[in-house]
Amino acid sequence: MDFPVLTTLIVLPMAAGVAVLLLPRRRPELALPVAIAASLLPLGASLWLLVRFETGVAGFQFVEHVNWYEPWGISYHLGVDGISLLLVVLTAFLFPISLLASTAIKDRVHLYAASMLFLEAGIIGVFLSLDLIVFFVFWEVMLVPMYFIIGVWGGGRRVYAAVKFFLFTAFGSALMLAAILSLAFVARDQLGAPTFDFVQLLGVDLTRTAQFWLFAAFGLSFAIKVPLFPLHTWLPDAHVEAPTAGSVILAGVLLKMGTYGLLRFNLTLFPEATVDLMPVMATLAVIGIVYGAVVAIVQTDIKRLVAYSSVSHLGFVVLGIFALTAQGLQGGVIQMINHGLTTGALFLLVGMIYERRHTREISQFGGLGSVMPIFAGAFLFTAFASVGLPGLNGFVGEFYVLVGSFLSLPVWAVVAATGVVLAAVYLLWAYQRMFTGPVTLEENRGLSDLNAREIVILAPIAALILFLGIYPKPALDRIEPSVDAILQRIEQTTDYRVPDFGSGAVVDLVGEHGE
Amino acid sequence: MSNIDFLALGPEIAVTAAAVLLLMIEVARKPSARVWGWIAGIGIAAALGLSIAGWVLGRGTDANLYFSDMLALDGFSAFGGIVVFTLTGIGLIAGWGLVTSLRRRGAEFVALVLIAAAGMHLMAASANLIMLFIALEVASISFYVLAGITRNRAADEAALKYFLLGAFASAVFLYGIALVFAATGTLSMAGQESFLGETILLRPGVLLAGIALLIVGLGFKVSAAPFHVWAPDVYQGAPSGVTGFLAAGAKVGGFAALARVLTVPLDAYLDDWAPAVAVVAVASVVVGTLLAIAQDDIKRMLAYSSVAHAGFILLALTAGDAGVEAVWFYVSTYALQVVGAFAVVAAVSGPDTGASPLDSYAGLGKRSPMMAAGLGLMMIAMGGIPMTTGFVGKLGVFRAAIDAGYLWAVVTALVATVAGLFFYLRVIVRMYMDAPGGDAPALEVGRGPAWAVGITSAATIVLGIAPWPLLNMLRDALPF
Repeated sequence: MDFPVLTTLIVLPMAAGVAVLLLPRRRPELALPVAIAASLLPLGASLWLLVRFETGVAGFQFVEHVNWYEPWGISYHLGVDGISLLLVVLTAFLFPISLLASTAIKDRVHLYAASMLFLEAGIIGVFLSLDLIVFFVFWEVMLVPMYFIIGVWGGGRRVYAAVKFFLFTAFGSALMLAAILSLAFVARDQLGAPTFDFVQLLGVDLTRTAQFWLFAAFGLSFAIKVPLFPLHTWLPDAHVEAPTAGSVILAGVLLKMGTYGLLRFNLTLFPEATVDLMPVMATLAVIGIVYGAVVAIVQTDIKRLVAYSSVSHLGFVVLGIFALTAQGLQGGVIQMINHGLTTGALFLLVGMIYERRHTREISQFGGLGSVMPIFAGAFLFTAFASVGLPGLNGFVGEFYVLVGSFLSLPVWAVVAATGVVLAAVYLLWAYQRMFTGPVTLEENRGLSDLNAREIVILAPIAALILFLGIYPKPALDRIEPSVDAILQRIEQTTDYRVPDFGSGAVVDLVGEHGE
Repeated sequence: MSNIDFLALGPEIAVTAAAVLLLMIEVARKPSARVWGWIAGIGIAAALGLSIAGWVLGRGTDANLYFSDMLALDGFSAFGGIVVFTLTGIGLIAGWGLVTSLRRRGAEFVALVLIAAAGMHLMAASANLIMLFIALEVASISFYVLAGITRNRAADEAALKYFLLGAFASAVFLYGIALVFAATGTLSMAGQESFLGETILLRPGVLLAGIALLIVGLGFKVSAAPFHVWAPDVYQGAPSGVTGFLAAGAKVGGFAALARVLTVPLDAYLDDWAPAVAVVAVASVVVGTLLAIAQDDIKRMLAYSSVAHAGFILLALTAGDAGVEAVWFYVSTYALQVVGAFAVVAAVSGPDTGASPLDSYAGLGKRSPMMAAGLGLMMIAMGGIPMTTGFVGKLGVFRAAIDAGYLWAVVTALVATVAGLFFYLRVIVRMYMDAPGGDAPALEVGRGPAWAVGITSAATIVLGIAPWPLLNMLRDALPF
């Protein structure tokens, strides 16, 4: 058997978390450096994974499969494909950065660092699990460290935000657990033994009604996590109250667990329901795009603004997924990565200015560009990436999503395109109010610009933003075979045909597809 | 005929002998509490050892009935013994502060705990309904006295309430036995099983009424809704040092009895009693969860939460035989969580006091990191979060119930699980996220609660991450 690199990826942060807890209590200053150093190990492992990953293969790689409890059909099954690969790398990449950005945490640093590392293990576990019970275990267990991170080290209304976050997610997953168990019994009736193995479950025949209910149960859980309109109300609270690193992880990777789940499980396990519900999901996604953007415009708190922009951006991802076209799905996946980078960077920047001024009200700033030129430049760069300026990563994802959805859902795509314009409104307007013109308040005059540590935090993200904007091909090459396989499966099991350029798509454009 | 095997009765002999010896030495020599501890410890260890021996010899085999079919020695009773005596040991360790605070009456306390343990194990081992009734009374009467052992107002009230309502439930249970006897003509469970399996009752009304009364009587013991009203007052009034043992013991003994009665003699009537059990289960989960949300005292909160947990366990019984494994897993791991949680309560509020307001847990995360972590873990486990035994237990009962066709009950229970998280999280919020008023001093924690919390926490995590050994074992822990 090959070296179990996937298990290593999960175990390393977990072991590091335990190690941090065991550090002597009298030396709290040790906790964070040790955690940062330890979080570099999973990053290294994920990079090794990235290098060794075989491009052009649709199936799962580095598979590990051990039966855990046969009578119940639970197996420890891990694997990585083009969809999860980049998300794992993104997770491993964002954790050292957010830990490095956590120097403002002074209270119970041990617990904080350990929580972050446990959270990392949980998230990576979610992306790698191919057994529904193991998936559910990671999905649910990662709520606990996040709950503590928001609730103990968060802002003023942290307890409210933490409990709301926990209960919203747990409610969704409760119904998902019922669906997972039911699915295993259907599998037992057809395959002879109960199984929670994703790959085996693909061979189970489900009736249209069963698919509908299972899609709804899984979909609700994922839609809460994404969050899809109208289930998004936990998001602004959680993102705003969380400490900077918590917000980065929440926006950067946690939300992607929802879109990942939709893509991995809903689209493949319930293809008929997916095709039936495609307009519904796309409509919710488009409402989220426009609603999130409009609400972001009127925010006076910059962190809340960024939080609402996530609702809008994740709407793009969901639209891309439920466009059910090659371009849409690729755009959806790459947009998950992009949003993780740009919004992560935006939250980091907001955290840096908050540490200096202890306010996030946009009206409390003005003319910062002359006081903190590097900071202003970094903010503008990230804002442009988020808006989708060509040459930066956001453009690639949004372009693919819009092209892909225009092929199958032209009206939705047109409405969604306004989201791009609105994004420019809220972000650039915020930039204008905060950074341009003369310095309006005396307090802002003495602010120091970014220091070396902060530049080190931002530089790798900026480099990736630029790289994916100019040369996204390496990423897309790895994503493509896996999403194509999903679409093929949908075509095989339903009468849906994926529209493409020059393949009779013109008929679709006038709205006659699906008979 | 009157086949005698002392291994079947060995655990009872061991703990009862220890209890008698303890009382006699106490009268004759007035030794220190240490000596009580040694005697009880040896008695419990011997009982545990004999249960393990019974497990090795009796698991998986068919009916081994002894003493004129009064007692069964099978995987079910042996596993029951292992759970009961482990629990008794940890319960005594956790509540040792109460023993020393009772001065000379501590000996009575220890002896009563040992006798209760004998009764609880007999509940799992009885193969005859009258034997079961006696076992139930042995355990229950010990519990009544234990609840009022401190003789203060709150404890007296708790004990009296527990006694009156418990006596009523015992009467109902006895009536149920009488009706089942009337319908089948025998009190032996094996006899009833073969009679009901071979005979078609044209008028099963008497039997069904009997089954209903049996479920009500045992439902009271496990505090299932709507027979739960005693639980909050008893939990709150009883001294904290013994509440965990009472709560966990009543659940283990009650569910062992319920599982055997329903799945052995009454197995043929599964389709009749399973819907009733499902309704009681859902009622318990919903009522327990909703009322727990409104509590300001952690012991009342845990009492209502125990009502909800009784509901979860009952869900598994809707599957009959197939659910026994899930019942055992849930009830044994839940019992450990309860003992662990009450060990923390005893450490925070004192082992001999009753009430334990939630406010006294503010800032516990700083006052005693270990106790806070232990209680937090128990809350997370009771909430059913993965990587704890609470999740595996819930997974097992939900599996069993869905397989039996009670998806509606499972969905209701799952939604209630989420609502339940609200009050479990509230404890964590108090401990970690609210600052203590003023400069609260560090909490002095005795060695007893510390050990009890340590052991139960370790079991909760280890069996939560790797439950397979226990689950494999439980496949042999079915009743004959």
